[in-house]
This record gives sequence, C-alpha cells and structure tokens, in this order.
Amino acid sequence: MRHSPGVAAPPQQDTAQAMKLLVPVKRVVDYNVKVRVKADGTGVETANVKMSMNPFDEIAVEEAVRLKEKGAATEIIAVSIGPAAAAEQIRTALAMGADRGILVEVEGAVEPLAVAKLLKAIIMKEEPGLIILGKQAIDDDMNATGQMLAALMGWGQGTFASKVELAADSVTVTREVDGGLETVKLTLPAIVTADLRLNEPRYASLPNIMKARKKPIENLKPADLGVDASPRLTTLKVEEPPKRQAGRKVGSVAELVDKLRNEAKVI
Amino acid sequence: MTMISEEARMLQDLVAKFVERDLMPLEPAVLAREAAGGKWALTDAEEEVILGKCTELGLWGLDVPEAMGGAALDTVTRMLLEEEIARTITPFEFPPDSPNLHMMMAVANEDQRTRYLQPYADGKAKSGIAISEPGAGGDPAGMITRARKDGDDWVINGRKIWVSRVPAADFIIVMARTGEGKRAEGMTAFIVEKDTPGFIIEREIRMIGGRLTYELVFDDCRVPERQVLGELGQGYVPMQLRLNVRRLQMGARCVGMCRRAVEMMTEQAKQRVTFGVPLADRQAIQWWIADAAIKIHATRLMVLSAAEKMEAGHDVKDEASMLKVFATEMAGEVIDQAMQTFGAMGMTKELPLHLFAQQARLMRIYEGPTEVHRMAIAKRVLRRGAAF
Repeated sequence: MRHSPGVAAPPQQDTAQAMKLLVPVKRVVDYNVKVRVKADGTGVETANVKMSMNPFDEIAVEEAVRLKEKGAATEIIAVSIGPAAAAEQIRTALAMGADRGILVEVEGAVEPLAVAKLLKAIIMKEEPGLIILGKQAIDDDMNATGQMLAALMGWGQGTFASKVELAADSVTVTREVDGGLETVKLTLPAIVTADLRLNEPRYASLPNIMKARKKPIENLKPADLGVDASPRLTTLKVEEPPKRQAGRKVGSVAELVDKLRNEAKVI
Repeated sequence: MTMISEEARMLQDLVAKFVERDLMPLEPAVLAREAAGGKWALTDAEEEVILGKCTELGLWGLDVPEAMGGAALDTVTRMLLEEEIARTITPFEFPPDSPNLHMMMAVANEDQRTRYLQPYADGKAKSGIAISEPGAGGDPAGMITRARKDGDDWVINGRKIWVSRVPAADFIIVMARTGEGKRAEGMTAFIVEKDTPGFIIEREIRMIGGRLTYELVFDDCRVPERQVLGELGQGYVPMQLRLNVRRLQMGARCVGMCRRAVEMMTEQAKQRVTFGVPLADRQAIQWWIADAAIKIHATRLMVLSAAEKMEAGHDVKDEASMLKVFATEMAGEVIDQAMQTFGAMGMTKELPLHLFAQQARLMRIYEGPTEVHRMAIAKRVLRRGAAF
C-alpha cells in the first residue's frame, strides 16, 4: 500500500464484493440501570432488569454499517453469544443495518476465552475480512475478547480504535493511547476493537426496525461449533464497592493546598 | 393478553431515546416561556429540528395505512409509543396530527382523499374538528349549527367552541344539522377550508395546561356540495370513530405522565431529608409511591387490553369509557402527590409537574367528561345486569 495513512484507498470493486464484516454483540445490563449485587454475593442482579446491547458493541455495529454504506463492505453479520434472549440484541443490530445474525446459545457465564473460541469457529465458517468488536463489555469490563481472538487467529489487531479506514487488503486504525494517537495499518483479515470516540451510533429507525423482522438469525449451540464453552474460572464473591466517605469543606485555597500536602500527602 | 412483540419493544425503545435525547432537553426553555406568559409551544426553529429528526427516524404517519405512505402500526404498539412521548412536557406529536384520520378514511370520497386525506397523511395539511357549541358539549342534542341547501351549495350558520389547532389548520371538519331529529340524527360533516368567506375565528381561549382553543362563527359560510364529508345526515357515527382511539390514547398518555411523576418523586424522596430522615423512609410518601405504581400498572394493562381488542376489530366502547375515567383520575392523584412530595418546589413553574397536573385536569373534561362516561358505563351495566 503506497497511500499515506489518513487517506482512504479508492474502494476496489472486486474485493469489496466479497468483504464480509463480523460484529459480535453482547447482551448486558442497560447502561442506565444502577447495578445491584445479588444478596448471596454470587453476581449482579439481572432479573427484571433492562438489558441492552453493550454500548461499545453498538459503536462497532455503527462502524460496520458506515463501512457498508461507503461501499467498502458488502455484508454484515451480527453474532451474539449468550442466552436465547440475546436474539433481541442481534435484532437491534439488524435494525441498525446488519444483514443477518448468528446466535450461539449458552446459558450462564461465558468467559472471554470461550467467546473467542466460539468466534474463531464462526470465522472459519464465514471467512469475514474484518471483525469489529466493542473494546470491552460494560458488565465485567474484561477488555480481553478481541485480543484473545486475534491471538487465536494469528491475525493483526487494532484495539481502542477512534478511526477506521478500510482499503482493499488492509485496514488503517487510529488508536487512542496514553498521550496521543497511534496509527497502525493491518493486513486483512484483521481484528479491530471500537473505543468510545469512533462514532456516535444511530438510532435504528422505524422502517429499519420493521425490515429487521425479515432478516434471518441462525441458532447454534457451542457443540455445533465443536467448542467447549464451559467456564475456566470460578467467581468466589461479588461485593459492592465501599460507600464513599462524605467530603470536607475547606475555607480557602490555602487551606486546601495545606491539607492536600500535609494530610492527604498527595502533592 | 398477548406478549408485546420484540418489534414493538424496539420501537418503544426508539421513541424513549428520541424523547430523552431530543425532546426533554427542550423542557427548561419550554417551561420558561410558558411561565413568562408565552405559549406552551415549540418555536419554529425548534420544531424544524425535531421534525427533521422524525423524518430521519421514520417516526411519521404511525397510524397511516402503508398504501398512503404510513407505518400502519398496530394499536398496541401505538399505545406504547404514546406512553413514551407523554413522559415529556415538551409539546410534540408525531405528524400528522391525526384526530381526523380515521373519520376521513371511513367516509371520504375519491376526490376528498386526493384533496384532503393524502396531504394530511403526508403531514402537509393540518386539520381540526368543530363539534361542541356554547350550548352543546358532552350531549350533542343541543347542537344548533345548521347547514341549508342553496342551489348547488350549502350555507352554514352557527357557532362552535373549544376547537383546537385552528389558526394552523388548513381545513376544519364542521358538524352541522341538515335534517330534523333531536340528537344525532340529521347531522352532517362538512370540510371547510381556511379563508372560506363566512368562516370566522371569533376568539382564542386560553385553557389551563398551556392549551389553546378557539371559538368559531359560521356566518352564511357557503361551501359547495363536494365539501360534504360522508353521507348526508349520517355524520354522527363516523365522527364517533375517532373518539375511542382518542380515549385509549389519553389512557396511555396518563400512564406516561405518571411514570415521569413517579421518577421525579422517587428521586426527590431519596435525597430530601426532613427531621433527620429521608422522605423515602416516611410511610405517607411510601404509600403514595406504592399506590402510584399499582395504578400505573393497572392503567397500562387496561390500555393494552383495550388496544388489543380494538385491533381485533371488537367494540371497545365500554373499555374506552372505563379507561377515560380511571386513567385521568389516577393521573390527577399521582401528579398531585408528586407535587406535594416536592413541597414548595412542586408549586413552581420550573418543574414540568404543574403543567402535567393542569393537563390531567383538562383530560377529565375533553373527549367526554368523567360523569358522562360513568353515566354511560352505568347505563350499560344496568341494562346487562352484569359488570363486564
């Protein structure tokens, strides 16, 4: 590739015709819900709680849809791994513009490694050119699936993307890193994980919600993909963070500086 | 009752987001203008932005048939959307404003469909309907506005009151007597375009809740034969068509307003401390909150059940009357308790609550006063000798 970073290559019709995008979406507790720890300390309460698509996955779907609208991709497959109800999140992705869905039904906890293995099995079957994931899910904040998937596939990864430019055989990803932006170019196929500032996801419009009803969702079990999705980790205990102590009022800046220096010893 | 479809939930989610991100941020400005004596309305600039959003999201013509370019949503879904949009005090209705849609769909002829119904369904024409008169509201028997035939024209004379949307309306459906009969007999609907000579907007009437209505005078107002909507002398029944769906809508709106009131109330109850204890720990407040939750749930079930029955083509006259009474009384009570929970703050014009309260009050009058509905329910129960 000879074009400079930041300049998209002209879409190449032949390659674009075959460019499939795979977008995994996770069902999580809605970001507006105040999460509560279960009384027995085994996890968080999800009964009678509003569930939604992980917001970072929404950004990933939006990016895929934009790439397709630009003509850089031809098909978007939304995948969810989780309970039967995760079909709702796939349906949301379909309403945003994905073409079809795959639901791998797993009850109970699924760890990032199991998700990565299941995604690998789907990738072998579907052969997408690019996988766009949310950088992490807002429920367990693992931030691991994308990286594990890249390792399992032996593909390049562009994590924490704030800009994605897809060319015929490569993808240029601007990454948000400490102290600035880093731009990497990955040979396709590749893995990208979406950060907050990549885009602002659209609302699925009414006509698109109606159209989503007719788009297909394939149902699979881990066994269909030959993957053992059972957990490797045991959660011992989940507890609420300690309540914040009430603050103290200070009379002046001088007093504040004094307290920060001599009591808190932070400056 | 059936489960709510996934699609309906998604649409509800869409409208909830639209309300929270696009309409609620306008509330402070809307409230400030109203408090300063201005109108409870969006500015043209605000409305343009919101209408643009609606177009983008396809939130347009929700109950308009697909053949006319609408979304043709089922009644249950539409009620869920009504509930969401009622959570904000920002005045907005998904276009077209559709009180007359069902009546026109039932009786408009080909020519009227082209001239009035289609532009209306496209959101390009606005309309109103003039039924009440100074001496005739809930009881149509007193209606004295009359149209008499003169050559090929009809000449309308009379006075109408409490008519909404008038200055902006491109046409008004006017109910007038053309024959003999005491009550609903001999009543005909006419389409009267704005600027028709003899159609006079007598005065603007400021209602509580920021609403405006108008008094109209028809002084030898001459319209051609082609303006007769539906059958001569048979205008009453199609006019009623719009009412049941309106009453269901009002039920859903009450649920939406009360949900907002309870959200505000719980937030306040948790943070406001009196005599060393948060309001949320006081039984008086707890019972208000519990009762509100119970009634909201009950009202929503009434709305959805009636909507489902209506969708299946059944008559929901009884349910619509029951809902109209129950939902509007519930809203009055819940919103009042929310205001009480806020103390002096609840008496200000800075919160949406005072406008909700006034609008809920108004709802006990329009589309049939509570007492008329109770009377109708009782009459039917007495006749049947069974509740429902």
